[in-house]
Amino acid sequence: MKFSWLALVCLIAAAGPAAAHHSFGAEYDANKPITLTGVVTRVDWMNPHSFIYLDVKDANGVVANWKLEGFPPNVLYRTGWKRAVTLKPGDEIIVTGWRARDGTNWGHSREVTFRDGKKLFFGPPAGTGDGGNVSPVAQ
Amino acid sequence: MKTILTGWFLSAALLAQTTANPATPPMPRDAQGHPDLTGVWQPGSTRPGTWEEANSGGGFGGGPVGRGARGGPPPRPEPAPYQDWAKAKVQESFNLRGIDDPQARCLMGGVPRSSTMGLFPMQIVQTPAQVIFLYEYFHEFRVVPLNAKHPDDLEPAFMGDSVGHWEGDTLVVDVTGFNDKTWIGPVGSFHSEAMHLIERYTRVDANRVNYEATVEDPKVLTKPWIIRTSMMLRPGTRLREYECEENNTDLKRYEELLKNESLFRR
Repeated sequence: MKFSWLALVCLIAAAGPAAAHHSFGAEYDANKPITLTGVVTRVDWMNPHSFIYLDVKDANGVVANWKLEGFPPNVLYRTGWKRAVTLKPGDEIIVTGWRARDGTNWGHSREVTFRDGKKLFFGPPAGTGDGGNVSPVAQ
Repeated sequence: MKTILTGWFLSAALLAQTTANPATPPMPRDAQGHPDLTGVWQPGSTRPGTWEEANSGGGFGGGPVGRGARGGPPPRPEPAPYQDWAKAKVQESFNLRGIDDPQARCLMGGVPRSSTMGLFPMQIVQTPAQVIFLYEYFHEFRVVPLNAKHPDDLEPAFMGDSVGHWEGDTLVVDVTGFNDKTWIGPVGSFHSEAMHLIERYTRVDANRVNYEATVEDPKVLTKPWIIRTSMMLRPGTRLREYECEENNTDLKRYEELLKNESLFRR
C-alpha cells in the first residue's frame, strides 16, 4: 500500500502543472485517505466547487455530517453526472477522498460508488493544485 | 487506489495502441490551405477519443506533454529558469502549496496557463482574418488578428494582446501587454509586466495540436522558458458555464489556514 501511494504521487507529479482553481493540497492531507459510507443529506451543485454532505455513522452508532468538496458542475456534467438525478438526498454511497488538514469532518472527494456498483469521480486526485512533489525551480 | 493506478497503466497501454493506429483521419485544412484549428480541444492530453475517456481516471490532463510522446510518461519539465531572487519567491509559493494562486481569487488564468489546463475545454474558431480562442475556465477569450500589429495603446492585461500569422503549417501568436497578476503555469510561476510570449500551434493530425510557448521575461527569467503541451480534439464537447464567484469560499478558508501555516507548509 505504501508503495502504491508513492507511485501515485510520482505519477501525479509527472503530470506537471495541473493546477486547478485552488490548492487542494493546502487544505487536504494526501497522507490521510478516507473512505466514507453514508447517506447523502444535501448536494451543492456549485461553482467554483461542488459539495456533497454525507451522514456517516461510526462504530458506536454516532452520526456525523461530513462535507466533501469536488468538481464544479461543468466538469461533473462532462463526466457523466446529472444534477438532481445522479445523486439525491437519501442515497447511500461510498466516497473515497482525503481528509482536511484541520482534522474536522471535511474532505476532498475523489470517487463515489453508488448502490448499483457504478462509480464516478466527484473530485480531482490528491494534491491537485499544490505543485506536486518537485518545485518548479528545483535543479 | 489500486483502481486509479490500474487506470493509469491501462490508459498508457491504450494510448500506445491508438497513437500507432495508421487509420487516424487526415488533418483538415481551410480554404487558404492552412491547417484548420477550428474545434473544441482538451489541453494537456495525448489521448484521442471522448472527454469521458480522457477523464476516466488518470486523464486529468493539464501537464507538459513532449513532442511525439508515444505512450510513455511525459518528460520531466525543464526547471524554470528564474533569476535567484525570483527563484526564492517561486519556492515560497511551492512551500505554501500554491495557497497564493491568483485563480483562488477568481482572477483569470492568463496565458500560457489557460492553454495548459487539462480539466476544461477550449474552443478555437478560425477565420481567414482572425483566430478566436474561447476558454471555458474563467470565461476567457482571445481575439487574435492575423498579419496585424499590436495596438500602440496597450494597457496591462491578464490575457495580454495577441497577434498571429502562419509559418507553414504552424500558427504563431505573439502576445504582449501583460499585467503581473497571473502565473505562467506551475505553482508560483509569477512574471512581470515585461513578459512576452511566442506561441506555436501545430496541428499534427486530425486529433492533435502540439502547443509550444516561448516565455521571455528579462526582469525575472535568466533565459527564455519553453512550455510545451498538446491539445486533443474533443468532438461533441460544448463549452459550458463556469462562474467562479458563485460560491468562492477559498479566501476565507485560506485566511484560517494561514493562521497556522505548520498545518500545510512543506
